Amino acid sequence: MSGPAYGFFGKILEIDLTAGAVRVLPLDASVVADYIGGRGLATRLFCDTADPAADPLGPENVIAIAVSPLVGTNAPTSARGHMVFKSPLTGVIGTSNSGGGWGFTFKSAGYDALVIKGRSPEPVWIDITPAKVEIHSAAKLWGRDIHETTAELTAGFSAAERPRVLCIGPAGENLVRFADVANDKNRVYGRGGPGAVWGSKNLKAVRVAGREKIQIRDPEKYKSGYDQALYLMRQAPVTKRLLRELGTAGLVELINVIDMLPHRNFQDCTHREEDLERISGETIARTILERAAGCYLCPIACQRHTRIAREGSPDEIGEGPEYETVVLMGPDCGIYDLAAITTANYRCNELGMDTISFGGTVACAMELAEAGVLPKAATDGLDLRFGNASVLEKLAVATAYRKGIGDILAEGSYRLGEKFGRPDLSMSVKKMDIPAYDPRASFTQALGYMTSPSGACHLRGGYAVSLAFFGGSKEIPRFSLLQSPIAIRNMQNTGILQDSLGVCRFTGYAFGSDPWSRMLSGVTGMDFSVARLEEIENRIAALERLFNLAAGAGPADDALPPRFAESGIVVAGEKRTVSREAQEKMRRDYYQVRGWDEEGRPTAALLSSLRLAPLGRRPV
Amino acid sequence: MTGCCGKKLSVRVRFFAYFRDVFGGKERIVDLDAGTTLAGLLDLIGDSPDRRKELFADGAPASGPGLKPNLVVMINGADLASRGGLSAALHEGDTVAVFPLMGGG
Repeated sequence: MSGPAYGFFGKILEIDLTAGAVRVLPLDASVVADYIGGRGLATRLFCDTADPAADPLGPENVIAIAVSPLVGTNAPTSARGHMVFKSPLTGVIGTSNSGGGWGFTFKSAGYDALVIKGRSPEPVWIDITPAKVEIHSAAKLWGRDIHETTAELTAGFSAAERPRVLCIGPAGENLVRFADVANDKNRVYGRGGPGAVWGSKNLKAVRVAGREKIQIRDPEKYKSGYDQALYLMRQAPVTKRLLRELGTAGLVELINVIDMLPHRNFQDCTHREEDLERISGETIARTILERAAGCYLCPIACQRHTRIAREGSPDEIGEGPEYETVVLMGPDCGIYDLAAITTANYRCNELGMDTISFGGTVACAMELAEAGVLPKAATDGLDLRFGNASVLEKLAVATAYRKGIGDILAEGSYRLGEKFGRPDLSMSVKKMDIPAYDPRASFTQALGYMTSPSGACHLRGGYAVSLAFFGGSKEIPRFSLLQSPIAIRNMQNTGILQDSLGVCRFTGYAFGSDPWSRMLSGVTGMDFSVARLEEIENRIAALERLFNLAAGAGPADDALPPRFAESGIVVAGEKRTVSREAQEKMRRDYYQVRGWDEEGRPTAALLSSLRLAPLGRRPV
Repeated sequence: MTGCCGKKLSVRVRFFAYFRDVFGGKERIVDLDAGTTLAGLLDLIGDSPDRRKELFADGAPASGPGLKPNLVVMINGADLASRGGLSAALHEGDTVAVFPLMGGG
C-alpha cells in the first residue's frame, strides 16, 4: 500500500508452519470498508483460508488474528485483538477477543492481521518486528507455564522496548479442549479452546514489538468522537468507578438480587446471602485485592491484582478472580470459599485454561458423582461432591496435564457427560459451557446463548443482563418472547462492532456507535456512518453463520440443554422455565430478524444485499 | 406519597457498591406508613443532599422529574418499571434493592 497508513498498513502476515514459510499479503481498503478489522477482518480471512470440515486439532485448521484501524490510536480501550479458529470444543467457529496490550504492539510491528496455517513438525515460537519475522525453535519453552514463558520471552528489554507475548501453557500443549491462549501474561483469548489449536500446531508463542505508526486522516473528526467517548465514560458509574472499585465480581450479589446466579450445575439459583458475601466483589476488595489495573489505554481498570495467604507456605499472587470464575468455580460447584476459588484461578491462569468451561466441567462432574454415575474409582480418590472446595486446585492441575480424571475433564462437560451416559447433565450449548447467568432468569439471555455463533457465550451471544435491571413499562422485557429476538440481535451486533474495532465491551455502558463512527471515519477517511456500521455487523454475523452451517451446525444446535425446559427456578416470585415452545418461537423469530430462512440459513436476498458470496467461492 | 390511617409496614432496603458508603451500610429496615409508594421510600432514604444526588436527576424530589440515570431500583427481584414505577405501593416485608447500574463479564 502506498501513501500514509490511515488506520491500517494494508499488510497481512501469513505464516505456514508446515513449510516454515512467511509471506506478506495485501489488505485492500475494500475489505476494511466491508469488515473494518478485528473480528470482522479475522472472520473474513479465516473463512477465505479454512476448510469448514477441517479437524480442529489437525493441520488444516487456521488461526486468524486481526486488529482494527483504531488500534494504534489513543482511542479508549483500543488495544484489543480478535482471534478466529475452528473450535476443538464445539466444532463450530471459535471467535475470541482479548485486551492487554498485545494488539496495540502487534499493530506497531506494522501489520493489520496474522494468519497461521499448517503444523510445525517441532515446537516453535514466532518473533514479529517491522524488520523481520522469524520462526524459532521452542524446544526450551515447551512444557513451561504461561508466566514463565512470558517472562522468558520479555526478559532483558527496557520498559519502553518490551515486547508483548501471546503464548500457551501446558493445557494447550496437552490439547485440553478449553485451553486458552494467554495474552500479556494474565489476559486471555479464553473460550473455545484456541490454546489446543495452537498446541496441535506446535505453536508455543508469538512475540511482537515495533514502533510503526498509523496516521489519522481527519484529526478533528476523530477528536470529536474521542472527546465525547471520554466524557461519557466519566458519567457512567460502571466505567467511572464501579469496575475499578469492585471488579466484575461486584456483580455477584446483584445477579443474586435478580435470581440469576447459578447454583450446583444450574440446578437452581438459591443461595444464602451470607455465603455470597464471602465471595463478593466487596469482600475481594476488602481482603485479597492489592490493586486495580487496566489494559493498555483503558481508564476503566477492572483488573484485580490479588494476593492469597496460604497456611504454612508463602503468599501467592496473581490476577482475578473475575465474576465468571467466582461463580462457575464457586456456587455452581456449591463452593463459597474465596481462597480455594482464587488459587484454582491462579492455576488456570498459569496453565492456560478457560475458567468458565473448567468450572462448568467440574460442576458437571460433581453432579455425575452425586448421581452415582461417575464411579469413585474414576476420581483418583477425590470426593467429587458439591461444596468440596479442596478438589478445585487439584482438578485444575490434573486437567491441564490430562492426568487421571483430568484426562476426561479435559474433554469438556459435554463429552464428560456423554461418556457416562448423561450428556443432559452438561450445561452447555454447542458443547460450550454456559456462563454465570441462568437463562431461566432472562429469556433474552437464553436466546443469546442459543444463537451465539461460538456456543453459549455472554460476550458473543449478547449481554442481556441490564434488561433485567431496567425494563419497559408493559411486558417485562427479560421475559418477552416478542421483544427478545430483536433485543438480542442488537446486543450481538453491538458486540460485533466492539470486537471489530478492538475496543472493550464495557464502553457500551457509557456510549453506543456514534463516537466510534466518528473516530473510525476520522482515522481512515472512509465512510463509517452508523448505518454502514450496522450493515457491516450484519455481514459479519451472516458470514459466521455460513461457516457454522458448512461445519454442520443447524437449528437443533441452537437450543438449551433439557434442564432449562424441564426444571423451573423461582424468579421474582414466579416459577420460570424456558419451554421448548418458547425456545422454538424465539429461535424462529430470531432467524427472521436476521434475514435467515427457517433453517437458519442466510437467504440469497440477504447475501446479495450484503455482497456476501456463499463460502468456498471468491468474494463478490 | 405517604399513607394515612396510622398503619405501619416495614421494608428492607439493601444497598450495593459505593451506595453502602453513601447510605451508611449494607441495608436498613425502614418503617413506613401503609400505602407509602416507592417514591415515598426514596424520599425518606434520600435524607441528605449527597443521598438525593445519587437517587434523583438534579437532586429533585421524588414527585419531580425522575430518577437519576443508571440508578437501579429492584422490588423483590423485579425491575421498578414492571412493579409500577415510582407510584408502586410497598407491602410488608418487601425487599427494595438500590444501586448504580453495574456491568460485568
